[in-house]
Amino acid sequence: MEVIAFWILAVIVGAAAVFVIAARNPVHSVLWLILSFFTSAALLVLIGAEFLAMLLVVVYVGAVAVLFLFVVMMLDVDFVELKQGTLQYWPFAVLIGLAFFAEIVMVRTVGVGTRLEPSPGADSNAEAIGQVMYTDYLLLFQVAGIILLVAMIGAIVLTLRHRPYAKRQNIARQTARRRADATELVDVTPGKGI
Amino acid sequence: MELTLNHYLLLSAFLFTVGVVGIFVNRKNIIVILMAIELILLSVNINLVAFSVFSGTITGQIFAMLVLTVAAAEAAVGLAILVVFFRLRGDISVDAIDMMKG
Amino acid sequence: MLDWTAILETVAPETLLVAVGLLGTLVGAFLKERFARVAFKLGALALFAAAALAVYYWEGGEAFGGLVTTNPFVNFAKAVSFGVAGVALWIADGFFDRHGTLRFEYPLLMLFAAFGMGLTLSASDLMTLYMGVETLSLSSYVLASFHRDSPRSAEAGLKYFVLGALASGLLLYGASLVYGFTGSTNFEEIAGSEMGIGLLFGMVLMISGLAFKVSAAPMHVWTPDVYEGAPTPVVAFFSAAPKMAMMVVFANVMFTLFGEAVDDWQLIIAIISGASMVIGSFGALLQNNIKRLMGYSSIANMGYALVPVAAGADIGAPSLLLFMTIYVIASLGMFAGILMMRRTGGMVEDISELGGLIRSRPVVTLALTAILLSIAGIPPLAGFWAKLDVIQAGMAAGLLPLVIMLVIASVVSCYYYLRVIKVMWFDEPMEEFQSADPSVALTVVVCGLLMFPGLMVFIGVLGGWTDAAAMGLAN
Repeated sequence: MEVIAFWILAVIVGAAAVFVIAARNPVHSVLWLILSFFTSAALLVLIGAEFLAMLLVVVYVGAVAVLFLFVVMMLDVDFVELKQGTLQYWPFAVLIGLAFFAEIVMVRTVGVGTRLEPSPGADSNAEAIGQVMYTDYLLLFQVAGIILLVAMIGAIVLTLRHRPYAKRQNIARQTARRRADATELVDVTPGKGI
Repeated sequence: MELTLNHYLLLSAFLFTVGVVGIFVNRKNIIVILMAIELILLSVNINLVAFSVFSGTITGQIFAMLVLTVAAAEAAVGLAILVVFFRLRGDISVDAIDMMKG
Repeated sequence: MLDWTAILETVAPETLLVAVGLLGTLVGAFLKERFARVAFKLGALALFAAAALAVYYWEGGEAFGGLVTTNPFVNFAKAVSFGVAGVALWIADGFFDRHGTLRFEYPLLMLFAAFGMGLTLSASDLMTLYMGVETLSLSSYVLASFHRDSPRSAEAGLKYFVLGALASGLLLYGASLVYGFTGSTNFEEIAGSEMGIGLLFGMVLMISGLAFKVSAAPMHVWTPDVYEGAPTPVVAFFSAAPKMAMMVVFANVMFTLFGEAVDDWQLIIAIISGASMVIGSFGALLQNNIKRLMGYSSIANMGYALVPVAAGADIGAPSLLLFMTIYVIASLGMFAGILMMRRTGGMVEDISELGGLIRSRPVVTLALTAILLSIAGIPPLAGFWAKLDVIQAGMAAGLLPLVIMLVIASVVSCYYYLRVIKVMWFDEPMEEFQSADPSVALTVVVCGLLMFPGLMVFIGVLGGWTDAAAMGLAN
């Protein structure tokens, strides 16, 4: 039963992955990517790694794929022009790919283990991860934070531009504004104007 | 038949291959190359979780979480560089990366 | 509770770097560009302090439940890479100031990159190794494209990113296989397991990922382009600090992680080493851009440095440290020299622009000549003794074909180093360069002096240190 489910999901992931690199339109590529992420998450649920499956959806689909979509749509590229001439490299690449794939498949395991044990020493998968995440692997957890900070600084340094002509909202100034700063009460004598 | 580690390794090997091929076959669009890199990281994640579950050690799942974090950071930096490149050249085809040769 | 004594003994320099980096982020967010100039100098000082801490905690230790372990071998590499990174940061502000890109983010990224180097060096677990490598790489991608208004800088960053991410993917897939087939990510436990075909395949993938990070063939393609396109101070950093760190990490992974399987990887490393020598020396022959030339030169030199790695831990470790130390000092001096090549219109990078430099800048020319001759391996200079040490290690390990290739590649590479020297000494003088920043000129002269035979003591002392450091690896 599980094997059948595995093969159905695996075929979907595989096909989606192929379409990611073969689609003509980058927007379609992103959508195929999202499909392969979702289906991979289902595959992880199948072997009991629920927490990672959830993270896969949250991080990959929620953040990474949306970031990709955002950039694809922001860059105003002429999609019709793109992807022409891709075909000439296919035979070569497929050959390399097959060689590489065969090589990896040759390295099959024999008996690392067949029993499913997604949460050793705990009741649930999330609990098993939580027990070691902030204790044994505290250092790595912190370094992950540093990596995200580096990515943030990097993205800001590369793409943020201060345009001098751009109008900005200064909330402090806005709330500090009183009626006296902006309006003036004038007694207008009839027939004279201000 | 029973669900075994080999099933997952096979799928992961396939995804990895598709990712590597995707980097080399694609001559026209750099964004797709970045997606191929994400596919490679996805394949690694499947590998790690499968190894973790079938060997009964939690380490692999922690490793996969870290890879997930790095994948997000890498996507952000990669797309930022791509945006900079696009602003200067107005083109994101692979053939546009041609200023320096030799 | 955290065992702070163990943490300090093991990763004190990294703790300092990350603390300064985070503080700098905070201060920079408020002071903005006013903070920039100070940040360059403060960052450099933090790097020097980190180097000093690495020496202070020379013996190292183990912390975080075996995630990080240090020993003198690693601490030596840390001290050198933090030191040269500090110099590269100290001399960078003039360049960025003139290009109008003096921003405080640059030193911060440099600090985090150095943190990544230190963490990778300290790693005794696959996960730590990977996280360290990624911290270094992500900062490096941004640094390479730091001049976001220059098409060449952006292109360099993009190329570096795509190939670097692919290399990280290979490294990671290899690491996942190693974990899967041994059931552990700890170096010691992995070293104790039996070598099977799965583990072997994982090892090969990890080697190719690491080869990229030290720009060894066949993963060298990015090097000339990134060297040419990235801003010069960034290249001064790339060509020195991460090279030293990653080469020692490479050796560390081979020696400790796969130490039992020397017979399996010796040939692979030897082939990578030989290919790098050939590609580096012959690729440089036709270059006119001095930065590109140095890129090919670094590929060749990484090939030489891999000879002691292939020789194995017992024979190779001291000569690897000696060779890399002298190479990174020379390389830093050379790029400081390139930083001085500035005319009214901006930076110039053609070798012919150095014409007749001896007339206008005799001292600097002498220093650059010493550096180039040293990299070429001409007898009385430091580079010669380092290369001799490498050759001896290769011979002792019975790698005769590799040593012969090393000698031939060195002879070939003499041609283009001598060509640069000829241009500086005998060609028609070009228009004089604009006056250089004092710190840059001083760096060139000091690096040049360190190559001189009068300072042979330096090599003696350094040799003593590297031997002591390598002893630490054996224990």
